[in-house]
Amino acid sequence: MEFGLWQVWEAGWVTAILRGASITILVGLVSMAAGLVIGIVCGLIKWARIFPLSLLVDAYTSLVRGVPELLIIYLLFFSSVEFVTKVVTAFGYAGVAENGYAFVIAVIAIGAISGAYSTEVVRGALAAIPDGHIEAARALGLSGGRIFRRIIAPQMLRIAVPGINNVWQTTIKDTALVSVVGLQELMRISFVGANSTRHPFVFYLIAAVVYLAITLVSQAGFDGIERRLRVRTRK
Amino acid sequence: MMDLIQLAVPVLLKGLWVTAALTFVSVLIGFNLGLGLALMRLSSNRFLSGFAKYYSNVFRGTPLLVQIFLFYYGLGQLSLIRDNAALWWVISDGARCAILALALNTAAYTSEILRGGLMSVPVGLVEAAQACGMSRMLRFRRIEFPLAIRQALPAYGNELILVVKGTSLASTITVLEITGYAKRLMSQTFAIFEIFAIAGVLYLVVNLMLIAIVRSTERFLMRHESQSRQGSSAPRSKESAAVS
Amino acid sequence: MKLKVLTLLACLAGSMGSALAAEGELSIGTEGAYPPWSMSDANGNVTGFDADVGALLCTKLAVTCHFVVQAFDGLIPALKAKRFDVIISGMSITADRKKEINFSVGYAELANMFVAAKGSDLAAITDVDTLLKSLDGKKVGVQAGTTHAHFLEKRAPNADLKTYDTLDQMQIDLASGRIDTAFADQSALQDFLDKPDGKNFQLVGVEIKSTYDPTLGEGIGVGIAQDNAELKAKIDKALCELIADGSIGKASQKWFKTDISRPCK
Repeated sequence: MEFGLWQVWEAGWVTAILRGASITILVGLVSMAAGLVIGIVCGLIKWARIFPLSLLVDAYTSLVRGVPELLIIYLLFFSSVEFVTKVVTAFGYAGVAENGYAFVIAVIAIGAISGAYSTEVVRGALAAIPDGHIEAARALGLSGGRIFRRIIAPQMLRIAVPGINNVWQTTIKDTALVSVVGLQELMRISFVGANSTRHPFVFYLIAAVVYLAITLVSQAGFDGIERRLRVRTRK
Repeated sequence: MMDLIQLAVPVLLKGLWVTAALTFVSVLIGFNLGLGLALMRLSSNRFLSGFAKYYSNVFRGTPLLVQIFLFYYGLGQLSLIRDNAALWWVISDGARCAILALALNTAAYTSEILRGGLMSVPVGLVEAAQACGMSRMLRFRRIEFPLAIRQALPAYGNELILVVKGTSLASTITVLEITGYAKRLMSQTFAIFEIFAIAGVLYLVVNLMLIAIVRSTERFLMRHESQSRQGSSAPRSKESAAVS
Repeated sequence: MKLKVLTLLACLAGSMGSALAAEGELSIGTEGAYPPWSMSDANGNVTGFDADVGALLCTKLAVTCHFVVQAFDGLIPALKAKRFDVIISGMSITADRKKEINFSVGYAELANMFVAAKGSDLAAITDVDTLLKSLDGKKVGVQAGTTHAHFLEKRAPNADLKTYDTLDQMQIDLASGRIDTAFADQSALQDFLDKPDGKNFQLVGVEIKSTYDPTLGEGIGVGIAQDNAELKAKIDKALCELIADGSIGKASQKWFKTDISRPCK
């Protein structure tokens, strides 16, 4: 049985895989940031039950959570997304349009998915803040903005950390799906490598190990954050 | 547009059965495997609990797509597998391979959900059962398992939906389920948005039906609980299960 | 919220007009996994017959070439979404595709064939109709979105069709015995037979020409967006010159060991 590790090393695939991994992380981070912004806005709308908007948010979250990610990515990528090309070109990415375009689509798709899950996390965290705290702050005459900054936001963040960790893990794994539309991230590189060297076992195993390393490291990071936040509350 | 619906819906409904079959079989296998892993995890045997923990971390820490490709293309390459008739029977076929990957994947998540459920069973109840002289098996069947399932059901409902969504990845290894047929229709008609929208609606309907089934099962299991406890326990577990 | 941002971006983009690629640059969509037409390596460089055709075309038009690699069944949607200016990817000109995009004049043509295990029943068949009939219940590999896929969907409806995003995946499954036979153009199959994987396989001795069924198309052409008549005129002129002076024939000698260029009308 030949595993072909040598060919993997020889043909420069290791650097290609590392480059792919960094793109995976980048897509993950940017999508997660976009998702968090969406999540905070939509979560607030859902929590405060702002009437017509909350219906929209409900539709958005149930749509994204009920339809396979792969389908959403195909739809966004193949349907008329002419304006994305224009935006990319306008921002001077014409030269790197190939990856630039796929990157934008990836971030929109993964960000929208991550945003739907973040919305639920944020709403859950907001709901977990005792009403008494907010009432007390009102009684003290704090303004709405200050109540959000001083009372709601800090508590919400702490409660939301485990949920955000979950969303992040899902997000980074979902980036693998973007490979089907050609972004040169970890999964795509492994795919191209597996096909052209005819050693799929080695390539997909390496991909699995790299993904596992990413998720384990971020798990450790989140554990650390959780510990830190816990210590601070005790003081 | 009407022509398109007439063309696409029957084809996609054919795919719906495949999606349903993939989901059903992988959940059937995955649930039992997951239950076994949850028990291993809670056992006092260090080796068993360690294995269950690593299993769960590995399968939850890597994308399902990688797992599917690793099983289908990766294992399919090894002569070790190809020379073994039983293994090759599983790996040679896209649908069986997808079921294998989905079942092993959902087993990892299921084990975490069931472990949470089992851990939530009050120690007092178990001790009481012990005091009544119930055997270990009987205790598990009558006390721990029913209580754990009740606790875990909302989270498990979410996991079921993730499995339905996961079956769409089978299309990447030649299985013609909803997404596979949708892609084929797309390359024939180029009506991208319409085709994928219809496919999306099918998935939504399946998932809404699943949610309804899980909710009614939940109500059925909770029928002996008092009104107030029902109100306080169900939504809490649902929130924590929003993402799995 | 997201919708709003998207609309905003869309408005922003809309106001900037539809200038597409930068001046003096032709972006070309290609599959990058279809030897010897179009292959890409670890660094994303594209080589093959279509890369050469693209390069010749760009020199003729005095622009720089830029390749965008994309799965075959996504090429037409991506062209329509203006991801690139043209498709050069061994794409056959067919009536169905013409409804979506324009094509240049055909620049090449190849026979379509089946491949099967040496000594199998399929391998011994010598006429088209028997061959198509004997596909019933057989697992037949074909690339997604190709004329080959459409042809089999139409002419061999009882075959168990397995569609692949790339030819490589299909070859892996052919070699491992997951599928009984595969249908593609002769050059792609020859590529497989030349590899170690293909040593137990042979071509089925039936050449299916595009005249046999219109779904197989009318030669290989360059795909161009429908609203770009100006570009089509330029490309047609350039291609005809390149065919006439033998440049395309020479390139095809290099990749196919034979001249597959199609005379320009």
